[in-house]
Amino acid sequence: MIFVEQLTKRFADLRRDGGFTALDGVSFDVQPGEIFGLLGPNGAGKTTCLRILSTVFKPTSGTALVAGYDVVTQPAEVRARIGFMSNNTGIYDRMTAYEMVQYFGRLYGIPEDLLEARIDHLFDQLQMRDIRDTLGSKMSTGMKQKVSIARTIVHDPPVLIFDEPTSGLDVLVARKVVDEIRGLRDQGKCIIYSTHIMREVEKLCHRIAIIYKGRILALGSMAELQERYGQPDMEALFFELIDRHEAEVVSAK
Amino acid sequence: MNWRNVLLIFRREVLDQVRDRRTLFMILVLPVLLYPAMGVGIVPLIQFAEQPRTLVLLGADALPEPKLLDGEHFAGEWFRDPSDRSKLVVVSDAAIGPAEAETVTEERRRRLLETARKFRGPLERQVVLNAQFAEAVRVGDQPAMASLGEQRKALAAELSQPFAASGMQVLVVVPPDFAEHIRQMQDAAANRQVGAITTDYPRPILLRNSADEKSAMAAIRVQKVLSSWEHAILQHVLREVGLPEELPQPVNPTEVDLAAENELAANVWSKLFPALLMMMALTGAFYPAIDLGAGEKERGTMETLLICPATRTEIVIGKFFTVMLFSMATALLNLSSAGLSGKYMLSLTGGSGGLSRLGDLSLPPMTALVWVLVLLVPLSALFSALCLALATFAKSSKEGQYYLTPLLMLTLGMTMFCLSPAVEMQPFYSVLPVMGPALLLKGLLLANHQTAMLYVYVAPVLISSLGYSFLALWWAIDQFGSEEVLFREAERFDLRLWVQHLLRDKEPTPSFSEATFAFVVIMMLQFLSLRVLQAPLQSASAEERPLVMMQVLIIQQLVIIATPPLLMGVMLTASVMKTFRLHLPQLADFAAVAMLPFALHPLTLEFSASLQWFFPPLPPSVGEAMAAMSSDHLPIWLVLLTFAFAPAVCEELAFRGFILSGFRHTGRDRLAIVLSGLAFGVMHLIPQQVLNAAMLGVLLGWIAVQTRSLWPGVAFHCLYNGMEVCRNRFGKTIEVTGGWQYLFRNEGGLRYQPLLLLLCAVVAMVLLMVLARRRRQTVADSHPSVNSPLTGSPELSIPR
Repeated sequence: MIFVEQLTKRFADLRRDGGFTALDGVSFDVQPGEIFGLLGPNGAGKTTCLRILSTVFKPTSGTALVAGYDVVTQPAEVRARIGFMSNNTGIYDRMTAYEMVQYFGRLYGIPEDLLEARIDHLFDQLQMRDIRDTLGSKMSTGMKQKVSIARTIVHDPPVLIFDEPTSGLDVLVARKVVDEIRGLRDQGKCIIYSTHIMREVEKLCHRIAIIYKGRILALGSMAELQERYGQPDMEALFFELIDRHEAEVVSAK
Repeated sequence: MNWRNVLLIFRREVLDQVRDRRTLFMILVLPVLLYPAMGVGIVPLIQFAEQPRTLVLLGADALPEPKLLDGEHFAGEWFRDPSDRSKLVVVSDAAIGPAEAETVTEERRRRLLETARKFRGPLERQVVLNAQFAEAVRVGDQPAMASLGEQRKALAAELSQPFAASGMQVLVVVPPDFAEHIRQMQDAAANRQVGAITTDYPRPILLRNSADEKSAMAAIRVQKVLSSWEHAILQHVLREVGLPEELPQPVNPTEVDLAAENELAANVWSKLFPALLMMMALTGAFYPAIDLGAGEKERGTMETLLICPATRTEIVIGKFFTVMLFSMATALLNLSSAGLSGKYMLSLTGGSGGLSRLGDLSLPPMTALVWVLVLLVPLSALFSALCLALATFAKSSKEGQYYLTPLLMLTLGMTMFCLSPAVEMQPFYSVLPVMGPALLLKGLLLANHQTAMLYVYVAPVLISSLGYSFLALWWAIDQFGSEEVLFREAERFDLRLWVQHLLRDKEPTPSFSEATFAFVVIMMLQFLSLRVLQAPLQSASAEERPLVMMQVLIIQQLVIIATPPLLMGVMLTASVMKTFRLHLPQLADFAAVAMLPFALHPLTLEFSASLQWFFPPLPPSVGEAMAAMSSDHLPIWLVLLTFAFAPAVCEELAFRGFILSGFRHTGRDRLAIVLSGLAFGVMHLIPQQVLNAAMLGVLLGWIAVQTRSLWPGVAFHCLYNGMEVCRNRFGKTIEVTGGWQYLFRNEGGLRYQPLLLLLCAVVAMVLLMVLARRRRQTVADSHPSVNSPLTGSPELSIPR
């Protein structure tokens, strides 16, 4: 469903000669019914990678296919088949929850009668009946997050992209979000999930990629990685990989 | 494009704006309340605007008949408008009864008179000095003039400060036996003793300070009063002598004013409406645009919108229509509110004072109002698209606000220029943005007999305005498609780092902004040099002028046009060769380009001649340069150097070298060629040359890209200008005879016949096709290196 090969993205940077490489030859793939975790510290390139998958950024080089469509040449097809949620995808202050979800449903071209049923169903499922007519500016963070999820899945996309969806949320709301995502996996969606929180990865993901300074340091299922590096603890494994990479960079110089 | 998406976005954005209290207030409430409130505030201000001024009169007892003063004022009969009487308070040394002392307290009166008496001495000295000075000037006594002038100045300076502090605005000193002199003069006249009439007696002195507005205004009023009083004295004499009283006014014409009340009103509207329309269409577009562009980034919903299936073009167009709706609504509401409040307020003042001439200020006729609506569409579209592009570029609402002022100043400047009575519609103005609609609207609102002539301009104004709107919209869409613009990060600007970066991370060719900067520098220097380079020209004698002009023009080319890009090229780019395309071209390319001017020169000449009517007349300095070009006094090599060789090298280095290379950094060659051509056109400043130069600029840009070398362009430029110089210089004297008449004619200069133009067109087409062909072959031959450093590294995106 998602196929990424040698994806590179460079930005110009006044401080660095030759620009800043946010993503450096990243390759992976994600299957339907799978949650693929991107684990890395802040500034590792997770957001850049997911923005390329959602067609907001254009890659400097490399290929990315989503649901069989190329993100560079067929961006409209890609956007119609993904649901994207990040802490940068806010909701409109001067729109109610219902209007917000309806607006995006209409933009996705869902016929009116179907859309109404779909929104009803979503509002039940996400338990947001009581905020149906609340304006975005009056909502708590948890409510906003629910509206964002409803907005993300209103068109029932086969591919879902979550970029740190739990960052800044309290534990109760974060747990709800994680539960929702697990439910979506059970529906057979292809999900890519980025975070810097180990626990979430352990709970949710089938396979993970550890990403650091734009490169994937390790990729595989939890068991594979523990076996390959002989390190049962996920957190220890993470730090070990990063230390090893820093050492390689130093020795390469 | 999916119009359903556009409509969805439009509806959401409108709803969003309508739910925003600030927007509603700015757009709906403010205009509806503002103008009536302004009216209510202003009417009392107008009525009581002018404070009474104080005049001190010394020697009131020496005033002759008829009676000049009436208590604390001049008598009402000496004013044309008796209501003006109260605007001057006269404090005189005549005894007045306590009943007449209305406004001035006894204490103040005493103080004013005391101060005034102190002025009397110096004032009389000043009069004597003035007379002596006039005498010195008459006889031409330089030393006396100098010393008297000094004394005069010193005395004036001595008076100035106490006078300003005195609290009076005008002082009139009447000499002691003034009434007696007048009486003697009158008697002598009445008894026809012409020899006994003497006019050589001391006159009253009027002291004012014309640098002080209050004093100047009061003095003008006093002089008007004195003049009607003087007239009455003269009439008295004439009556005594038995001559008609109208004798001193043999001309005194009777005025007939044709202006009907509604025409005066139309005059007011034709000034007010265009100005208000421009300002309000812009402000009405600006605030929603900021909210829809930068505001969306700020609130974090930009990315939400970008990942929805609507394309960026659909998003921009949806937003554009929203902004335009608010722009038009604001403009129309302001206009109707201002119009109706104005009319109402004027009816309240009851037709008194200067405003009464406007009658009931009837609103413009329906047809004129329909034109307001029609012209508002392209105007709003232009402002909306411009504001949206700027708002998209801004990373926060605050940054967006900064862009309003320059935009508003520019628009206001252009509007004010149009409102000046001397500026009238003409073909060139009609195709300019903002000015075309403003002038058309001004003319149509006047609704007089000239209006009919303006209808020819409707099509050009509408078409060009819509064209500008589309360009601006295209820019907005372009902005929205650029990830650097959408995801600009708030970065601390560090001058040192930036300069380091400029000098360290040099690329083979300049960046787009460096090229733009070079162009701006050239334009600024052009502007500054207007004065500096004019100076030697003005001081030169008539016979030296042409020679000095040639020198000035060459210096201008070298210093202003060639130097900045050359310096920037050396400092800011890694490859001077590539930046300025100094590689040698292929011989065949060079030959083809070198033949091109011979075919194109006749075509462009006849083309611009056929468009002469379209432009305003040439400024005199250009006419002089043209004359110098064709005069036989200068050696031909100097003229060729000035008009052909120097521009060919300097302008090509700047525009096809540095600027074109920088513009090509965008990776879009066609855009780069057109932009560099336009820049080249604009640099020529004179409208006639701008069009011609822009077209040739585009062609030269294309040649530079096709041949990958500067030299063919230099050759073309040099030959093209050289042909024009030779035509001007030798063309007049050539006799066109025999078979040549099919190709040439002589109309005060050598001109070309249609047959020759046809031949030229064919040759030019062939040459251009050859050039286009050759490029395709070379591309096919050397494909791998096409994406080479010439275009820099297009894959590198720059978040600014």
